[in-house]
Amino acid sequence: MSHEPFDQHQGLDPQDERLLGELRRAAGRYDAPPASVMEAARASFTWRSIDTELAALAFDSAVDLPVGAVRSAGGPRQLAFDAPGLTVEMEVSPDGPHRRLRGQLTPPLPSHIEVRHAGGTTSVDTDALGRFSADAISPGPVSLRCHSTEAPSAPRFATEWVPL
Amino acid sequence: MGARFDERRLAQAAATGDQLAWDALVDRFGELVWSTARAWGLTPEQGADAVQVTWLRLAEQLERLQEDDDRLGVWLAATARRESLRLLGPGRETRQGPDMSSGPPAPAAAAGSSRDGLLWRVVHELPERCRRMLRILVTTPPPSHEEVAAALDLPVASVGGLRADCLRVFRGRMAKISISAEIGDS
Repeated sequence: MSHEPFDQHQGLDPQDERLLGELRRAAGRYDAPPASVMEAARASFTWRSIDTELAALAFDSAVDLPVGAVRSAGGPRQLAFDAPGLTVEMEVSPDGPHRRLRGQLTPPLPSHIEVRHAGGTTSVDTDALGRFSADAISPGPVSLRCHSTEAPSAPRFATEWVPL
Repeated sequence: MGARFDERRLAQAAATGDQLAWDALVDRFGELVWSTARAWGLTPEQGADAVQVTWLRLAEQLERLQEDDDRLGVWLAATARRESLRLLGPGRETRQGPDMSSGPPAPAAAAGSSRDGLLWRVVHELPERCRRMLRILVTTPPPSHEEVAAALDLPVASVGGLRADCLRVFRGRMAKISISAEIGDS
């Protein structure tokens, strides 16, 4: 299954076409994606959530420093996710080889949260003020799935996957 | 348009829970996602992380993307670029000059005496802009101009010209080391 030749060969003269072909062969030989990477990509499918609203990543201190902010080494990472009807703010700090999450839901509806991470799923509940914490989270991609325990018919949310 | 029709059908099937359709999407676009991460200079370990987050996000958004799933490659390339930049962090330094840390893995570096190995080393000695362009272009199957633009954050209209420029720069480097860039020359 490949693009039709016209897509790639638009405007390429035969010499460039041949050279790219050689380089493509070299890429396959020296820098193909490792089998483990492809396997993890296939396995990613089992982590999808169905019937959830996506809370998109709105702020990541690893990328979006506020203007004038000085980045302190070892400071906690700040993340924020937005969906219509929910904001999730979270601070990530080291916990030995793992990560500790401290967060807040807005509005602060009492909710059940499943933290999905490389080590499995960690379940936590928010307190009456919508705050939550989770320890021993494995480094790697993380997504939170939350639903209100007071309004069972309220939408379930899943935060965009982010590498921690 | 046959290829794009297949991609749309695969995405629709995956959205209904078809793991095999998903696997076919990974086979189709896996190299593009990996190449994007490597084009931005990620190490193999960083690349593995960026690739995984990209596919996890696609799995999460399959249903939402259905109207656009003839542009799946573009979405994947753009997502892979954003995840690569996230892993590199703000204030990352642009690599200048020869730097094999994002080049061939150690055993392949030793294969530099072969023509393939030599070509591959020269790619990684190009200025950053051209290294990225050539690294993306050598994806299998060849990426469309739109996919290249998404991977490298370039205007689509500039892709053809930059491609030509970078191939010219590459030939210039090869000529400097007195090796012909043409097939069949010794």
